Amino acid sequence: MNASNPYPGDYSAFRESVREFLAVGLTPELARAGERTTSVFSDFEAGRQWQSILHAKGWGAPEWPLEHGGTGWDIQQRYIFLEECRLANAPNPVMMGVQMLGPMLMHFGTEAQKSAYLPGIISGDDVWCQGYSEPGSGSDLASLKTTADRDGDEYVVNGTKIWTSMAHYANWIFCLVRTDKSVKPQAGISFLLIDMATPGITVTPFSSLDGEIEQCQVFFEDARVPVSNLLGEENQGWTVAKYLLEFERGGQHFTIDLKKQLRKLRRLIGSEANAAAEDPTFVYRIAETEIDVMALEQTELRIKGTVAAGEHPGALSSLVKVSGTELGQQCAELLIEAAGQGAMPWQSEVLSPEYEGPTAAPEECVTTMAEYINSRSTTIYGGTAEIQRGIIAKHVLGL
Amino acid sequence: MTEDQTLLHDASDRYLRDSYDFNARRERIALGVYTDPQHWRAFAEMGWLALPVPENFDGLGLGTRECAILAELCGQYLITEPLIDVLAAVSTLIAPSPHAERWLGQVVGGELITVAGIDEGAGQRSKSPSTKLTQVDSGWRLTGTKQWINAGPSATHFIVLATVEEGLAWVICPRDAAGVDCEDFPTHDGRGGTNCAFNTAIEENQILLSGAPAQSALDAYRELAMILSSAETLGAAHAALDTTVEYTKQRVQFGQPLSSFQALQHRMANMLIQIELTRSLVYAACDAADGDTPDQSRFARAAKVKASSVGRKVSQEAIQLHGGIATTDEYIVGHFFKRITALDSWVCSRGEALKEFMALSG
Repeated sequence: MNASNPYPGDYSAFRESVREFLAVGLTPELARAGERTTSVFSDFEAGRQWQSILHAKGWGAPEWPLEHGGTGWDIQQRYIFLEECRLANAPNPVMMGVQMLGPMLMHFGTEAQKSAYLPGIISGDDVWCQGYSEPGSGSDLASLKTTADRDGDEYVVNGTKIWTSMAHYANWIFCLVRTDKSVKPQAGISFLLIDMATPGITVTPFSSLDGEIEQCQVFFEDARVPVSNLLGEENQGWTVAKYLLEFERGGQHFTIDLKKQLRKLRRLIGSEANAAAEDPTFVYRIAETEIDVMALEQTELRIKGTVAAGEHPGALSSLVKVSGTELGQQCAELLIEAAGQGAMPWQSEVLSPEYEGPTAAPEECVTTMAEYINSRSTTIYGGTAEIQRGIIAKHVLGL
Repeated sequence: MTEDQTLLHDASDRYLRDSYDFNARRERIALGVYTDPQHWRAFAEMGWLALPVPENFDGLGLGTRECAILAELCGQYLITEPLIDVLAAVSTLIAPSPHAERWLGQVVGGELITVAGIDEGAGQRSKSPSTKLTQVDSGWRLTGTKQWINAGPSATHFIVLATVEEGLAWVICPRDAAGVDCEDFPTHDGRGGTNCAFNTAIEENQILLSGAPAQSALDAYRELAMILSSAETLGAAHAALDTTVEYTKQRVQFGQPLSSFQALQHRMANMLIQIELTRSLVYAACDAADGDTPDQSRFARAAKVKASSVGRKVSQEAIQLHGGIATTDEYIVGHFFKRITALDSWVCSRGEALKEFMALSG
């Protein structure tokens, strides 16, 4: 335990209970899916199965309040749970429902909406995707053009969303749509919950650079959505979205995974005659990266302390996002350098948890290149590094 | 920070803000006066010099974290007095000495200003000093030369690292003693430096530590120096950023304030990001030292490496973002730059710290 840990209390019994649960609940197949994860998403089926196991245990949404099926854990317990799951290689369920929409629903939803949607989210029976970005609206999200025109008790939705992760698996989508074109961009946006089975919706998946399919474009052509599916009030969608973006940025813990990457790096260069290990400048770069990870870890602890004291971490979250993602990229880069040509084989079937055949890459390196390739997107999604720096400049430095 | 730490910070900050004037500092340095006797007396009266002194010697018995609060302020206000030097020496070289009682009272009272002398020239650090402490008929004799003692001109006494039969020894020696030949010189960070040749008689109670305790005191001194120099660098870097932000808001070019240009905004955001990451690590190193945890040595070195890199980058950027004005000696920002540069190589350089960090990481 670190000296700066704001939680001097004894959490060892809690940690032990998490480990006991993982030892039984996390099957070798699921752990394998977790280990072979190359982006924020694990194998879809494995993630879904894991969510239902967590839900059965009552741990489907650790961050939610008890009344909605949460755990009532304090911030340190939630951190320990996350840490143990990551260390045991638990797969990542599709998290847009539990981590993003859930808090929104609890904050802005009607009682009817809460009881209609929350149970499906926490059980994993419903898979939600996020319809924000459009081909013409990325960082400038408020310029979005997908329209929802009122027609009686329905909205008629037209337009397209892109970078809609996992839309090809999702049965629901939460969308930002334009409901008023006459006002300034932010003031004419609404937040809609849309059933993917609605006639007029089509999904086109496309490959990412690593050859895997996670991203989609979603098209809406006269898709009719009940007005009761509006979250928050009409034209208040931007307020809802801002809350969500803040939630996406807050409370992130990058160092658990960064330390995993560093351990892997040490194993790689420690094995046999690794060429990179012979290079003294490479060894120095690893040490400097380790120090940067220590600094980030201590900053995450500072934020936890702030949150635990009931204060808002504010722009410190942006700082952690920038630093955490850039360090992740740095580690991924060191890993491909350590792996050398061993990182080159592209063998998609290896990523499936059922696959038991031979691997073209050395066992330790089967995901290395894909992780490197996918790491490039981490400074783009959820608010680009440039947007984050803009937030820091504006809100901390007052520029 | 705890409530007491906040009080310490706020009171110290208030004193320095009200009375440590940048222009007075410049004039003083030009005259070769690096320690203002009035300031030093005030430091003593505010209890700063007693901070790490154990309570049984009438000190405050406070830890690394509290010393680092002062170190950070030293960076912020560009203090030329050897405060971190004295705090590190008192805490690790005098307090553990069997002769502590003989010296501590004067140090805490501010009459005796003492800094450590370790370096003996390029590339030579601490492992086997050629300065020797030898037994002679009448007692002891210290012979040898120490070079580049930072803040040496402010010192009334040097604590010299010497080789003795049983290993290392720390010897405290007045600079005006017979057989001590000092040559002072100005330095770029405005604190002055001293080269000193010793061929002088030493009494038993001047030998603060010798043998194994002297070796562990050296380790402790270096480690504390790493943390305090990191904290001072942090304070100076943050002040350099604040100065830069304020300046870019005022300075108008192309009909708009410099601060409105995104290319500059993002660079200042980067400076802040790196400063805050450094802050986390420096404070963690303090806590590790005060908690006497097994990873304290690793943390001290990590803090030194991070603070040095960030300090260098931030202070360079501060000059660039200002433009020409920052290259003049009348303007404050270049002085942060110079002090940060000096701190990098003080006692333990970034490169040494990194190598030691790697050795500790196995």
